[in-house]
Amino acid sequence: MIRYQGVSNSYDGGKTWAVHDLSLDIEDGETMVLLGPSGCGKTTLLKMTNQLVPLASGSIQIEGDEISDMDPVQLRRRIGYVFQGVGLFPHMTIAENATIVPKLLGRGPNENQSLARELLALVDLDPDIYADRFPDELSGGQSQRVGVARALAADPHYLLMDEPFGALDAVTRKLLQDEMLRLKKQLGKTIVFVTHDIFEALSLGDRIAVLNQGRIEQVGTKEELVRQPASEYVEDLFKSPKAQLKEFQALLDGEKPL
Amino acid sequence: MSDIASYLPELWLRTGEHIVLTGVATLTAILIALPLGILATRVSVLRGPILAVVGILQTIPSLAMLAFLLALTGQIGALPAIIALTLYALLPVVRNTVAGLEGVSSNAIEAANGIGMTSLQRLFLVELPMAKNVILAGIRTAAVIGVGIATLSAFIGAGGLGQFINRGLALLNTELILLGAIPAAILALTVDGSIQALDWGLRRRPKIAAPLRPFLPTLRIMAMAAPALLLILGIGAYLSGTSGASGIGASTTTIRISSKNFTEQLLLAEMMAQMIEEHTDVRVDRRTGMGGTMIVHQALVQGQIDIYAEYSGTALTAILNLPVVNDPDAVFEQVSQAYEDQFDLVWLSPFGFTNTFAFCVRRAHAVENNWQSISDVRADQPLRAGFAPEFADRPDGLPGLLIAYPNLNIASVQDVDSAIMYSAVARSEVDVIAGFSTDGRIDAFDLLVLQDDRSYFPPYYPSPVVRQSLLDTHPEIGDALNRLAGTITNESMRDMNYRVDEEGGTPASVARAFLEENGLLTQNDAAATE
Repeated sequence: MIRYQGVSNSYDGGKTWAVHDLSLDIEDGETMVLLGPSGCGKTTLLKMTNQLVPLASGSIQIEGDEISDMDPVQLRRRIGYVFQGVGLFPHMTIAENATIVPKLLGRGPNENQSLARELLALVDLDPDIYADRFPDELSGGQSQRVGVARALAADPHYLLMDEPFGALDAVTRKLLQDEMLRLKKQLGKTIVFVTHDIFEALSLGDRIAVLNQGRIEQVGTKEELVRQPASEYVEDLFKSPKAQLKEFQALLDGEKPL
Repeated sequence: MSDIASYLPELWLRTGEHIVLTGVATLTAILIALPLGILATRVSVLRGPILAVVGILQTIPSLAMLAFLLALTGQIGALPAIIALTLYALLPVVRNTVAGLEGVSSNAIEAANGIGMTSLQRLFLVELPMAKNVILAGIRTAAVIGVGIATLSAFIGAGGLGQFINRGLALLNTELILLGAIPAAILALTVDGSIQALDWGLRRRPKIAAPLRPFLPTLRIMAMAAPALLLILGIGAYLSGTSGASGIGASTTTIRISSKNFTEQLLLAEMMAQMIEEHTDVRVDRRTGMGGTMIVHQALVQGQIDIYAEYSGTALTAILNLPVVNDPDAVFEQVSQAYEDQFDLVWLSPFGFTNTFAFCVRRAHAVENNWQSISDVRADQPLRAGFAPEFADRPDGLPGLLIAYPNLNIASVQDVDSAIMYSAVARSEVDVIAGFSTDGRIDAFDLLVLQDDRSYFPPYYPSPVVRQSLLDTHPEIGDALNRLAGTITNESMRDMNYRVDEEGGTPASVARAFLEENGLLTQNDAAATE
């Protein structure tokens, strides 16, 4: 379980708050989506979790351990990390990229070779075709599959995902979202998933935390958010997708008589 | 001229020296520049200062840098040359290391941090591999520039292909200049190619034509070894050249004979070298063509060389800083005594000819104005002078000349290298030069030496100057050199200079011909070769 208590962070020494006095519990095995527009503090909160961004005040605990007491390097190796930029290493093969974390942890090349095949199969890439290729030979969707494989390589309990599919086209994004749902079921990881895409949040999140200006507006299941919005902000959040859906529905209905 | 062929064995040695100089300097530069470049990207306050310092080093003119290092290290030869080349090689390597590391994409950096790499792991597993090609490009630039700058190292006795260029400049011999310049250019291209091959070999996916693909592993190893092979080849050429072709005798000694960088000096060095080679078992390493009186004198005092020929008047005024004396025998006495006391150096018996400054004008110019001696020149006849920097400064040079001949009206003084001053006056670029009285080009360019009717220029006796400690252990060297005493007349010296300067003879062949004609190579003294 990840527990945030009164967490704050500012990039300008306290004039404005990226994250302000925020508290949130993430239960083991659940997927928590942090949802909000850009600048709401969701990515900052995520990056504070593995100390990519320092904690100004408050406390973050993982399995009861205070993260500020941990060595950032050791902490990050316990947590899988996937981000929009993917960041595959261009001078390494796909297999080497996927197994870089076990290598850092001191696993031998032979072990890693079979692990690489398992991992690539897990994210639906044929190891025979892709293992020895280089990142510049892959499409964006394939690259992010490898990014997910790399994050899973050391079998961490926790996965942090920072808008991982944000740069992909709609079709590929849908494919990868479905893939995520399957992996979630299969692996039972605790996942913190940042997105500004409402539909992505609704389809992936067991619970969703809506963030606005560094604070949480509401935490709840998708049903709770949609049916019992806690604030005007949350209510408004679903207004425009609803309107879009209505228009789309009208279009579909209007087609029938033709 | 077929004489060029006689230089080919030396070409091998000089190429080896050149490769060793450049190679050692480039490797040293890499060892310094890589950490500096990494430091500059990791500690942001150091970035500016580091780049500024290596940038400033690059702007120092190469000759000034060599002269400065010569003074700083107190040595001639390879050490100051390698230091200078290393300093020049820093900029391209540091700059490309910084550029390469800063060019690593922020996504790769974020990924490296996010998956839990330590700072060092990020450097060695991600940043350096990703910056590798840019860094290698910097090393390539550094090595190629190094090959070019290394040609100047010959001025401070470090050898290399610049030795031919220097000698060619001194002898006004274009072919000799090209003998240094063309191999240096080829070497630069070879060095460039070898590092490019290394770059190719280090790539994870080297581009290769399909038919060659089966040989990729072999080709790759060959490509990666290319720079190392070139360096080994250079070291081999250098070692084989310096240890001599005749095999290594257990008891043989090698001594170094040097000279300044003009024809007469090169001839005298050759004559001394050939006499020693002929009449003793000692081997001679020729380190000729150094950049000036002070450089070659320093080298002798510090034992980097063993022998060179000096002029008594030059020693008196330029080295000992004593006032001009007009009696040549008194000068010789005074100089030999001072050398013995101060430097533990011995002046052997003079070669026989005298050399002094010669006030040279175009013959037609003299006839037109009816000049025969220096005092014939009138104050209303302004002269444009072309003097070597040394003459313009020496107390027995221009300053004293104007006191002795107040009638002279020197309207302008241009710095002219001693190698080109004769042609400069012949082409009317200047009106008068301070040449050397034994120079063959005085006749060749139809110049006239105005008589020194007030005996201002003292006649200088050139002699071999030898380290005392060498004569103690090898007295036979003194015997061999003393056989030259009094054998060279003014006419024969001028003739030899002419044959080298104007007829394209090599100093070695002209010197040999002279020694043979005068029976100096015959073994009439059996004891000398015992």
